[in-house]
Amino acid sequence: MHADQISWAEATGWQGKTNGAAGKANLVLYFGVRQALASGARYEELRAKFPRAHILGCSTGGQIQNDDISDDEIAAVALSFDATQLRLACEPAPHPMQSRTCGEAIGRQLAGDDLAGIFVLSDGLNINGSELVAGITGVVGEKVSLTGGLAGDGARFEETLVGGDCAPRTQLVAAIGFYGKAIRIGHGSAGGWDEFGPRRKITRSKGNVLFELDGEPALDLYERYLGDEAKGLPGTALLFPLRIRDPQQPDNDLVRTVLAVDRDKRSMTFAGDVPEGWTSQLMRGNFDRLAAGAGEAARAASAGINKSSHNGSVAILVSCIGRRLLMGQRTMDELEAAGAEFGPEIPRLGFYSYGEISPHGPSGICQLHNQTMTVTAITEATG
Amino acid sequence: MNKLFARQLEKAKTAAGETDLDALRELIVTAYEQSDRDRRRTDRSISLMVEELDQLNRSLERQVADRTATLREREAQLQEQNIRIDAALNNMSQGLAMFDSSARMVICSKPYMTMYGLPPDLIKPGITVSELLRYRLKTGTFAGDPDAYTETLLASTAKGYAVSNIVELPDGRTILVLNHPMANGGWVATHEDITERRRAEKKIAHMARHDSLTDLPNRVLFQERLSEALVDVHRGKRLAVLYLDLDHFKGVNDTLGHLIGDELLKVVAGRLRQCLRDTDTVARFGGDEFAIIQAAAENPRDTAALAARICQELSAPYELTGHAVMVDVSIGIAIAPGDGTEPVELIKNADMALYGAKADGRGTYRFFEPAMDARMKSRRALDLTLRKALAEGQFELHYQPLLNLTDNRITCCEALVRWNHPERGLIQPAEFIPAAEELGLIVPLGEWVMRKACADAATWPDDIKVAVNLSPIQVMSANLMPVVIGALAAAGLPASRLELEITESVLMQNTDATLAALHRLRELGVKISMDDFGTGYSSLSYLRKFPFDKLKIDRCFISGLAEGDDSLAIVRAVTSMARSLGMITTAEGVETEQQLEHVRALGCTEVQGYFISHPKTLEEISRMLVSYSPKQAKTA
Repeated sequence: MHADQISWAEATGWQGKTNGAAGKANLVLYFGVRQALASGARYEELRAKFPRAHILGCSTGGQIQNDDISDDEIAAVALSFDATQLRLACEPAPHPMQSRTCGEAIGRQLAGDDLAGIFVLSDGLNINGSELVAGITGVVGEKVSLTGGLAGDGARFEETLVGGDCAPRTQLVAAIGFYGKAIRIGHGSAGGWDEFGPRRKITRSKGNVLFELDGEPALDLYERYLGDEAKGLPGTALLFPLRIRDPQQPDNDLVRTVLAVDRDKRSMTFAGDVPEGWTSQLMRGNFDRLAAGAGEAARAASAGINKSSHNGSVAILVSCIGRRLLMGQRTMDELEAAGAEFGPEIPRLGFYSYGEISPHGPSGICQLHNQTMTVTAITEATG
Repeated sequence: MNKLFARQLEKAKTAAGETDLDALRELIVTAYEQSDRDRRRTDRSISLMVEELDQLNRSLERQVADRTATLREREAQLQEQNIRIDAALNNMSQGLAMFDSSARMVICSKPYMTMYGLPPDLIKPGITVSELLRYRLKTGTFAGDPDAYTETLLASTAKGYAVSNIVELPDGRTILVLNHPMANGGWVATHEDITERRRAEKKIAHMARHDSLTDLPNRVLFQERLSEALVDVHRGKRLAVLYLDLDHFKGVNDTLGHLIGDELLKVVAGRLRQCLRDTDTVARFGGDEFAIIQAAAENPRDTAALAARICQELSAPYELTGHAVMVDVSIGIAIAPGDGTEPVELIKNADMALYGAKADGRGTYRFFEPAMDARMKSRRALDLTLRKALAEGQFELHYQPLLNLTDNRITCCEALVRWNHPERGLIQPAEFIPAAEELGLIVPLGEWVMRKACADAATWPDDIKVAVNLSPIQVMSANLMPVVIGALAAAGLPASRLELEITESVLMQNTDATLAALHRLRELGVKISMDDFGTGYSSLSYLRKFPFDKLKIDRCFISGLAEGDDSLAIVRAVTSMARSLGMITTAEGVETEQQLEHVRALGCTEVQGYFISHPKTLEEISRMLVSYSPKQAKTA
C-alpha cells in the first residue's frame, strides 16, 4: 500500500508530491472547511488528478494534517492498495428519522463475504448517528470494523457536506468498503473527559431529543452552566458533554454531543439517542487529560496494525469539535499525543467532527461516539 | 520552552523564516483569552456544581428527615400494633406459643403460661421445647417423653404438616393442641382447654342415644346394640327381642298425673334392669314401651322364664309418693334367627307378638308366630277396604224407633250404621267399628253418620228426634262441634231434634275436656244421652258430673228382669233416681210384651227393642213414622 499526503490552500492550490503514483491511487480521502468544498471545484480537481480513485470527503470543524490543524485548507491523502478491493456506497439521508433505513441500505450495498472494514462519512446534522450505525451493523454484522465520522460545520451547525465520487452535498452518507485478506484496520477511541456534578435522571426524551433532566428542562441546565457563553448554543454545549448510562448496564456508558437546541420547547437535540430512564452526568475537560485520551486512542489503533510488516500506512483521526472548542490553541496537544504513537513516517490526517464512529473499547460493538478522539489506522499486509 | 509557546513561535514564522511579531502577539493574546475563558468556565461550573450539590445535600437531608419521621411514625404504629397483638393474645381463651426452626420459643401468651402454671422467670424467649416439656413433666402437666415428643413434632413441622392432638392431662383436663408450621421452619402452637366442651359433647352424644327420663338406651342405641348382637346370630347363636308395654299406663297418667307416671316409668326401668344380666340390653322406646335384647338366648324356655319374671316383678305394687299403683305388662317375644335376622324385622315381629299378648288379656307374654303376621296383614287389608267403602258410599244408616210409654208414640229413632259390603252384604257395626276406631277411620265415618242422620231426620215429622252414637274418639276430637253444627245447618234440623248417645267409657277418658265438649253441645240445644247405662264402673258418679237428658238402661238388665236377679231392683232404682233428677229413662233391648209391661210398671219413660221394631231402612222407617199407632206397637 502506498499513501501520498496532499493539501490545498486558497493561495497555493494543491500541493504535495504523488511521486507519479497518482494514476495508481484507488482511494482519496479529503477533509475541508465547508466554504472550500461547497463549489465542487476541489472535487473536480481531485477527480482529474486521480482518475481511477474513489474520492470520499466531507466538511469539517477543522482539518487535521499530521500534528497541525487548519481552518481554511483542505487535507487529503491518496491511497494505492496492492491487494485490497474497494467498493463505494452512497445513500441520501433526508431526515434523522430515516437514519436506520439509510444505514441498512449502505450495509446492503457493501455486504460481502470478504468485507473487512468500512469507513463511513455522514451528514452531520440530518442524522441520528446511533441509528445509522445500527442500520449498517445490522446488515454487515458486528465483526466488520466500522469507523468514520459525522461531517462538521465549524461551530456554526448550519449545514454539512459529504461527497462520495461526487461533489460534496448535504444530506448524504458515503462509505467505502475494504475487501480481502490483506487489509489491516486498527482502531481506537477515547474521551478523557471528567464527570462532574450530580447524576441526573433523563425524565423526558424522545429519540435523540432531550427535554428534561430530573424534571427540569435540559436547556435550563445548560444555560445556567454556560452563563454568557449560552449565546453560542448549540456549539457551546459541547463544552459540557453529557455522559449517559443505562442503569441496567452501568458499564456501557456513552457520551452525547448536542446538534441543535429549541429555545421555545426548551429541548436539545443530540447526535444519538438519549433514552428516558437512563442516568446522565455533565462532563468537563481538562486539557492534559483530553490529550492523554487522544494518545490512548492512537495507541489502540496503532496496535491494530503490525507497523513493522507494512510498506505504507495511514492514520485517520476523527476528533470531536467540542474538544477543539474547549482546548483552543491547546488542541494541538492531542494531535501531538496521537502522532507520538505512530511516529513521523506514518501520515496522519482527519477532521473535527459532529460525531465519531468506532467500535467501543471494552464491548467491541460499533457505536456512535461524541466528544472523543477516534483513530483508524489502515495498512496492507505484505505478500 | 513551553510547548505552546514553541508552537506559537513556529506558527508566527514567515516564509523567510523570520518571526512575525504581530502574528505572535495575536497568538499569545488569544491563548491568554482562551485560558481565561477556560478558567472562568471552570470557576463557574465549580461554583454551580457546589451550589447544586449543596441543594442536593439539603434535599437529601430533607428526605432523611422525612424518612426518619415516617420511620418513627411506623415505629409508633408498630408499637401500637404490638400492644393490640399482646392484648389479643393474652385475652384469647387459647394459649399460644411460637417456636423457631431450632425449637426455641419466640413468644408465648399469658393464657399459655397460666394453663400449665409456667413461671415467668423460666418461660423466656429462647427456652427449648424440651426444656419446657421437662418442666411440665415435673409439675404434672405433661405425660410422655419430652425428647420423643419434640422429635415427632419437628419431623412433622419439617414436612409442613399441621398436627393436632387431643391431650389428656394427668390432672384430668383435656387440651386440644394444634401445631401449625410457619414458613420460616418454626411453628405456632395453640392450646385450648376443651374439658368442658368434651364433657358437653359426651353428654350430647349420650343424650342422643339414651332416654332422658330413665337413662335407658333409646331406640337408636337399641338398634345399634341389636345389630352388634346379631353378628353373633350369624355365627350360629340365638337372641331374643322382648317388646314390653305397660297395661293401663295411660290410666295412671290420666288419673294421677304425669309426674307420677314418670316416676312409675323410672321404677319400672329399675326393676327391668334388676331382671337382666349385664350382657342383656333394656331400652325405652317412648311412652310406656320398653324393649329388651336377651343375648345368648339358646333355649326359648330361658326367654319364657325371663318374660314371666318380668311380668311378676312389674306387677308387684308400686308406692309412688303416697299413691299405691298397680300395673301389668304385656310382652311380645321374637327370637333370632327364627323370627328374623334384621333389627327392624325382629322389633316388628316382637311388636306383633305384643299385640297378641294384649289380645290374650294382658299381663302376659306371647312368642311371635307367623300367623300374627297374617292377622296383621288382614287388618291392613281391612283398613284399605274400609277406606274404600267410605269413599264409595258403601255405608248406610238403619233406624230403630224409641217408643214413649206415656202416650205410646214414637219420639225418636236411633241411627245405626251398616256396611253394605258388595260381596258380603250387610255387615253389623260390631264387626267393623273397633277396626275403624283403631285405624283412625271413626272420625270421618262418624262425620258421615252425623250428616246423613240429620239429613234423614229432616224429612221426618217435626216431633221425631234422631239419636246418633258418638265414639269416645269422636268426643275427644276437636272437630266434633263443627261437625255437629255443620250437619244440623246442612240439614236444616233444629238442634233440639238431635240426641247424641255416649257411653260411660267416654267419661272415663280425659274427663275435663270431655265434659266441656258435652256442655258446649248441650248449650246448642242438643240432647245428650248416656248409652248402655249400668255396664260401667262407677255409673252414679258420672251422673253428678254431667246433667244427662236421658239414661238408656242396658239391655242386660231388661233381659234379667224375668230371671228374678238384682236387675229388677237396679232398674227400679235407676228410674226412680232419673225421675228425681228430671231425666228420661229408656229401656233397651225390649223384646217381649212382658218386658214392656214390666218396664212400664217400673217407671221407664221409653222403650226400644225388637218388640217395638227391628232397625229399618230410611224408607221403611219413614213409612212407619207416618202409619205407626200404639196399637200396632202392642201387637208387633
